[in-house]
Amino acid sequence: MGSADEDYNFVFKVVLIGESGVGKTNLLSRFTRNEFNHDSRTTIGVEFSTRTILVEDAVVKAQIWDTAGQERYRAITSAYYRGAVGALVVFDITKHQTYDVVDRWLKELYDHAEASIVVMLVGNKTDLAQAREVPMEEAKMFADNNGLLFIETSALDSTNVEEAFETILKEIFHKVQKQKQRSSQSNTVSLASENPSSTAPAQAERRPCCVAL
Amino acid sequence: LQGYLPANVDRRESTLQRKRKEYFAFVEQYYDSRNDESHQDTYRQIHIDIPRMSPEVLRLQPKVTEIFERILFIWAIRHPASGYVQGINDLVTPFFVVFICEYIEEEEVENFDVSSLPEEVLQNIEADSYWCMSKLLDGIQDNYTFAQPGIQKKVKMLEELVSRIDEQVHRHLDQHEVKYLQFAFRWMNNLLMREVPLRCTIRLWDTYQSEPEGFSHFHLYVCAAFLVRWRKEILEEKDFQELLIFLQNLPTVHWGNEDISVLLAEAYRLKFAFADAPNHYKK
Repeated sequence: MGSADEDYNFVFKVVLIGESGVGKTNLLSRFTRNEFNHDSRTTIGVEFSTRTILVEDAVVKAQIWDTAGQERYRAITSAYYRGAVGALVVFDITKHQTYDVVDRWLKELYDHAEASIVVMLVGNKTDLAQAREVPMEEAKMFADNNGLLFIETSALDSTNVEEAFETILKEIFHKVQKQKQRSSQSNTVSLASENPSSTAPAQAERRPCCVAL
Repeated sequence: LQGYLPANVDRRESTLQRKRKEYFAFVEQYYDSRNDESHQDTYRQIHIDIPRMSPEVLRLQPKVTEIFERILFIWAIRHPASGYVQGINDLVTPFFVVFICEYIEEEEVENFDVSSLPEEVLQNIEADSYWCMSKLLDGIQDNYTFAQPGIQKKVKMLEELVSRIDEQVHRHLDQHEVKYLQFAFRWMNNLLMREVPLRCTIRLWDTYQSEPEGFSHFHLYVCAAFLVRWRKEILEEKDFQELLIFLQNLPTVHWGNEDISVLLAEAYRLKFAFADAPNHYKK
C-alpha cells in the first residue's frame, strides 16, 4: 500500500452478504455517502466503497465489499472473503425466505473466511414494519445462539445504519487490541494474518509505532 | 447483422413472421410455469431485478416490466445450462431501445410512454428483442454457466494483454494489489453497459455486431483500450482503495459517439498488433 492522502491507523475489511434484494447496496451507500436509491442497480460481482471513522482514539478506515446476492456469483464472491475481519449478514425482515437462508450464508462465510471474523446479523427494512415476517426476538435469539452481533436497520430512513457499522468496527477494533496485547511478544499484530503487508488490504496497521502502548 | 435475419431479402419478412410466432408459442408453452416450484427461484430473481436494470430510463413502466420479465424468463427456461444470471437483464435493453426508436425519435426515448404503441407493434418488438438477445448470448454463454468460466478466462486474457501493451499500468495495478477481477468482472459480465451511457453501448454494440466474434473476442481489445484510456488517472492514484473506487466508477457520464470511436480505433489497432502475434512484446 502506497501513501494515501488520508492518515489512518487501521484498515478493516468488511463484507456485506445475504440474499439478493435485501438492501446490501443501500446499507452501504447510506453509510458511506448518506444516499438511498429506491431502484439501485443489481450488484454485479463485487462493488466497493470506504469510509473512515473514529473508533475511540484510532482512525479506522472501513473498506467495505458489497457482494452480489445471486447464487451464480458465489464462486466469484467467495474469493473476496479472504482477509475480511468483519461481515454483515443481511436479511429482509419482510421476507422470511431471506432469513431462512442465513444459515447457508454463515456456512459459506466460515468456509472461506478467517475463523476469527466478527459477524453481525442485520435485519434490514424496518421502515416496512407493517409487512414484517421475521419477529425481532426470533432473529435476536438466533444471533445470540450463534455468537453473532445483531441489529435491525432501515437503509431508507437511516435507522441504525451508523450504529450497525460503528458497532462492528468497534468490536473488530477491540479484538485487534486484545490480540495485540496477547501477542506482543511474538510480534503478531494482525488479526487476520501474520504478515499484514503481504496480504494488504486485508487489515493493515499503518503506523507500527502505535503498537507500543 | 445479429444473425437473426436471413441474408436473402426476399425471405426476411417470412422469417420474421415465423420467428415471432415461434417466440409467442414459447410464451404460451412456458410462461405459465413461472410460479411452479422448480422455476420459482428464477422468476423471483428476474422479478426483483427488472426494476434494478441499467439504464433507468424505460424500466419503470409496467408495460416494459411485463415484456422484459417474459423475455428473460423464456430465455432462462430455454437455456438451463446457465439459466438467468444477474446482468443478463441489462442486455435486453439496447435491442429494445433500438427497435422502439424505429417508431419514435431517439430524443424522445426517455419520456416515451411505451404503452401508447399499438399492441401488435409491441409484440413484434418483444419477439425481435428476444431473438437478438438470444443470438448475442449464444456466443458468450460460458460467461454465465456455473463459476462463469468464460468471464474468468477473459479477465485473465485481459490481464495478459494489458501487461504487454502497457506494462507501466499493469505494474502499477499489481503493485497496489488491485486485481483485474475486482473491476473487469463487470466489464465482461455486462459488456461494458455499466461503464458507459446507453447511447454509447448502442454505438459500441453496433460495431461488435459487424465484427466477427465481436462480443466474445473483440470486446477484449475494447476492454484493454478502455483501461489504458485512463492510464494517467490510474498512475496518479497511489492507494488501493482510491484506485478501485476510481476503476469501479469511471467518469464516462458525458461520453458520446466521439469517445467510442476513439476507443474502437484504439481497440482495432491493438487487435492488429497483438491478435496474430501472441508473442509480440512478450517478455
